Amino acid sequence: MASNEEGSIGTSLHGVTAKEQVFSFSADASSQIVPSDDPTAKFALPVDSEHRAKVFNPLSFAKPHMRAFHLGWVSFFTCFISTFAAAPLVPIIRDNLDLTKTDIGNAGVASVSGAIFSRLAMGAVCDLLGARYGTAFSLMLTAPMVFTMSFVTGPVGYLAVRFMIGFCLATFVSCQYWTSVMFNGKIIGLVNGCAGGWGDMGGGVTQLLMPMVFHVIKLAGATPFMAWRIAFFVPGFLQVVMGILVLTFGQDLPDGNLSTLQKSGQVSKDKFSKVFWFAVKNYRTWILFVLYGFSMGIELTINNVISGYFFDRFNLKLQTAGIVASSFGMANFFARPFGGYASDVAARLFGMRGRLWILWIFQTVGALFCIWLGRANSLPIAILAMILFSIGTQAACGALFGVAPFVSRRSLGLISGLTGAGGNFGSGLTQLLFFSSSRFSTAEGLSLMGAMAVLCTLPVAFIHFPQWGSMFLRPSRDGERSKEEYYYSSEWTEDEKQQGLHEGSIKFAENSRSERSRKVALADFPTPESGTLTNV
Amino acid sequence: MAIHNILFASLLICLLIQSSHGATKERLFSDLEKSALEVTATPSRVGEVLAAGIDKLSITWKVSSTATKEPEFKAIKVKLCYAPASQVDRPWRKTENELFKDKSCPHKISSWSYDPAVKTAQSFDYTLERDIPTGTYFVRTYAVDAKDHEVAFGQSTNENKTTNLFSVQAISGRHKSLDIASVCFSVFSVLALFVFFVNEKRKAKIEQSK
Repeated sequence: MASNEEGSIGTSLHGVTAKEQVFSFSADASSQIVPSDDPTAKFALPVDSEHRAKVFNPLSFAKPHMRAFHLGWVSFFTCFISTFAAAPLVPIIRDNLDLTKTDIGNAGVASVSGAIFSRLAMGAVCDLLGARYGTAFSLMLTAPMVFTMSFVTGPVGYLAVRFMIGFCLATFVSCQYWTSVMFNGKIIGLVNGCAGGWGDMGGGVTQLLMPMVFHVIKLAGATPFMAWRIAFFVPGFLQVVMGILVLTFGQDLPDGNLSTLQKSGQVSKDKFSKVFWFAVKNYRTWILFVLYGFSMGIELTINNVISGYFFDRFNLKLQTAGIVASSFGMANFFARPFGGYASDVAARLFGMRGRLWILWIFQTVGALFCIWLGRANSLPIAILAMILFSIGTQAACGALFGVAPFVSRRSLGLISGLTGAGGNFGSGLTQLLFFSSSRFSTAEGLSLMGAMAVLCTLPVAFIHFPQWGSMFLRPSRDGERSKEEYYYSSEWTEDEKQQGLHEGSIKFAENSRSERSRKVALADFPTPESGTLTNV
Repeated sequence: MAIHNILFASLLICLLIQSSHGATKERLFSDLEKSALEVTATPSRVGEVLAAGIDKLSITWKVSSTATKEPEFKAIKVKLCYAPASQVDRPWRKTENELFKDKSCPHKISSWSYDPAVKTAQSFDYTLERDIPTGTYFVRTYAVDAKDHEVAFGQSTNENKTTNLFSVQAISGRHKSLDIASVCFSVFSVLALFVFFVNEKRKAKIEQSK
């Protein structure tokens, strides 16, 4: 496996590095790539030996790399629009379907719950069918669910349809998978951060788009109770169009599509049961699960409740409430990449400890502003609190994926998937606890959710790496355990080590020395357990 | 830094929004003169659930002889209000004492300028609008003064809002054309995916056999 990983992990905001498959089934990406006879001159961007792009040019649509990036993030963006399309129209829908607050809250929980399972399954789909079909399946099989909104007449139908639309959030996984096979490890952090952040913006754009579409349809003569149903055709149609574009213009891999490429070379697939076990056994996975549940989780919850909150509490018009609410999701454009970037800078100065502190700071500050948002009684203060809250929380999302790639090398894909599922789980939980009954007003719910987020961000102090330490503890003094190699090779059994299956982990460990703080990195210089000493 | 600019801009926008907000906020419902107006609302079909967009209400209002604030009346506003049964677990329809916060009477029926010379009961027919939600209702009339502030009211039900209520069933909002379009688009979506998939598998087989 060609190693092009110098400094790759430490470079930027992350979903995954380019070397690993996002999901665990096939650990070796090169098994699916045939080095073509042609030199790399046929690509518009400079590529490495695996034909992954080494440069990220967001203004280009060149095939296959930049095209894959744009198709990927726009598909994810479209799915966010569909999943949260109902939220800004709830004031109309609740009158048409005679919904109670409990009905609305339960539907909100349902809208994010489906993706818990679909995100986990999407990894397997991408491995088997390629990223294009993973994306297209997600888009074109959930589009009928969006159209089905025109049939809904009561709370049960509303909940069922929102649940099924929510499955399409699995495009997060297929999008990150696609960029991971198209872009080199050195830049994959920035690419994934942009794709993730720009896709998340869909949750903000929908708050603007749907009320506008609704208004235009009403002007054309429809009654409100019919206009909102017609409005749903817009996201549905967008999904179908994106699905066709992905299948027509997209390409699974730099060299072609999965089904037409001949597979050659050795296919070293890792065993799913092993990968699963090591992911689940690692306590850090579950801390990240909780953390993401209270950064991305509350972001998803806010997408569902914030428009209605401004409409009801401050008596804004539907479109005005939508404009205000949309600024929350739109902040993703720069806030998430910024979070990852800040994480990288902190790592350069303080190592992994810096990353953990940055994560804690962003997430806690965001949560404190969420408490303030619930308590704000005037509109300008509420808007200010909301904007600061959005920046803090979204930066925390970006910063979290600066830590996640280091938790495991063998189970990296599965941990990314579990973390992503944790986001949806956190959203379902907070909506269920605080926004589904008349026990709390929405304002009280917001403050309580912020308080719960502050509490649930504290576990980040328990993430401890023997080789790098944690927020408060120093790295292990033990000669063996203080080496990165020890941590990453402990995921393989002796038998597997004998067969040399852990070579990739050793290489990763060598490159991850960038996570030591500057002082430590300069001071001592341990030798790796096996393999040659590459550039450190 | 970019963030400072964004925060400053957002503060400006917020201040602009606030400055365009109304001023008087403390007028209370409990301060209004009760029963200053006698109101009756008779549905076109008694004892049955009325259909929005089709059924009518026959509304009569008259200034009560006991009304003390009558000289201030400049206009009469008639509104459709939610009965308590329709407010359960629906905080967006809550009754509040502060008039600007009160959400229990959102549907305007009509508005009339008040002529003090006319002492007889006024009546008119009102066809329930097509955007009235399903629920239980009563009718309330507010008398407003020259500053458009409410000074008195009367309603078609008693103080506890338990008598003379009527139920409305909203339109479904569905339409056959929508249903058909929905099915067509859905079928197209699934079919298109299937066609692409089968096509590519076929092309792959041809490639492999070469």
